[in-house]
Amino acid sequence: MTDRSRFARAWLAILAIAVLVFLVLPVLIVAPMSFSSAQSLAFPPPGFSLRWYENLLGNAIWIDAGKNSLLLATLSSTAALACGTSAAYVLVRGNFRGKRIIEANFMAPAIMPSIIVAVALYIFLARIGLLGSFFGLVLGHTLLAAPYVVLIMQAAIRGFDIRIEQVAATLGASQWQILTRIVLPNLAPSAAAAWIFSFVISFDEVVVTLFVSGTHVTIPKRMFAELMLQVNPTITAVATLLIAFNLLALALLLIVRPRAKLFASEAT
Amino acid sequence: MLGRAAGDISPRRRRVRWDLVLLLAPLALLTGIFFDVPLLNTALWSVSDPATGALTGAHFQEFAQSAAYTRIIWRTLVMALEVTLLTALLGYPLAYWTSRLRPRLQAVVLAFIVMTFWVSILVRTYAWIVILGNGGLVNRTLQALGLTTRPVEFLYNELGILIGMTNVLLPFLVLPLYAAMVRIDRRLLQVAQTLGAGPTRIFWQIFFPLTLPTLAASAIFVFILSLGFYITPAVLGGGRVPLVANMMDLLVNRFARWEMAAVVSVVLMAVTLSLYSVYQWLRERGA
Repeated sequence: MTDRSRFARAWLAILAIAVLVFLVLPVLIVAPMSFSSAQSLAFPPPGFSLRWYENLLGNAIWIDAGKNSLLLATLSSTAALACGTSAAYVLVRGNFRGKRIIEANFMAPAIMPSIIVAVALYIFLARIGLLGSFFGLVLGHTLLAAPYVVLIMQAAIRGFDIRIEQVAATLGASQWQILTRIVLPNLAPSAAAAWIFSFVISFDEVVVTLFVSGTHVTIPKRMFAELMLQVNPTITAVATLLIAFNLLALALLLIVRPRAKLFASEAT
Repeated sequence: MLGRAAGDISPRRRRVRWDLVLLLAPLALLTGIFFDVPLLNTALWSVSDPATGALTGAHFQEFAQSAAYTRIIWRTLVMALEVTLLTALLGYPLAYWTSRLRPRLQAVVLAFIVMTFWVSILVRTYAWIVILGNGGLVNRTLQALGLTTRPVEFLYNELGILIGMTNVLLPFLVLPLYAAMVRIDRRLLQVAQTLGAGPTRIFWQIFFPLTLPTLAASAIFVFILSLGFYITPAVLGGGRVPLVANMMDLLVNRFARWEMAAVVSVVLMAVTLSLYSVYQWLRERGA
């Protein structure tokens, strides 16, 4: 190897590691700062304290936001899993005209910039009287999560041997029996992965929630609102808990489906 | 209509499979009623008089003639372009370096990149306030090194937004690019070497052109995402740097000018969809 190319390689490594640090730094810096004893966001933290966590857990608004977020994410990810899985089955096994268009339509809510979805839903829900209702919020989140369920479940159903379904049909099983007794039990790990994915999508959603939630408060909505007013260190504790929550979800996902595609655009 | 399912072994053809229709219906209804109809409704609002409901081109005219809209659109385009270029310049070396590491190290680096992708955008954006604030890590380091005496203003201006958006969007470029790089047939590079080409020439004449379709596709994807970005500009711009999405928020929630928000939506949607078709075309070429 020439000196020149060794030199180029060293530079590449330095640059790449710098970019990697830039990428990861935000995720790594929040947790230590959340245990700071200082009122300001001074770095390095002058001392250790749990005061921001005490602050957070003693605050009824945050607790309420947490309950709302969990309920909202549970309802919408379950709805998205049900709608998305059954639609994915038809998209894979069915053979009909207009399939590509229907499929593209199902994917569209995830591709469209959320601000457009937010404005469109705002105006529409206002017209039909659902703006600010919890039901409208659940519908919005289900809509945003369903495309990911369709993607994950389509891949899973494609990988499931169709001959097993054919044998069941020959043996006299109805379509319903084939679905509930053969297809679904075999797809359970993927379904669990899709559910976790949807849960996280809903739990972290900000833009559509800001527009259509009315007086309902979720954790991201509350966090965004506080950030727009003033930065206070309680937010750092919230952010740390959110990071822990998301990484826990990621770990769970890897347990139920070790070779899951973790990156959405890989699958699209 | 719905015909035979592939799993259906009955000999009859052209029978409507009501069971499949029933399975497709929930998502079709949800998407139809709460996505398609609202978007069409938005399009209708953009060309209707809010009071009478009569068709009018006045809103689009106002949009085209008002200097405020033009300025914000222009600013958003410039910002999106800057973010895209910066993401490509930073992301390419990272993807390239990662693709040449030993497999075990590759897995570690990828785990870090995927991890950031999994943490909510709001949290990652907030972290930049912690890092770039006056008493934050960067300013403390700069002062300790004696590079500056007063804190550098990173936040609540375009620089802060640029840093935050680039950080959030980097994985969208790095991960597909890495996937494309490991797919490249190494033998091509070996042949070039046997034929006497130097490393620089091999990179620029063989390796780089092979990654170009994926680089272009992911860059367009990043550009699309940055056009509609709301959270990062709002938080790191502190409301002082209005971009398109923030303008839409103001039009709906502050000024109650739904018809103008609808016009901006339609324009943004048209730009997004046309860029997305270019993205799909490039992806099919790259695959």
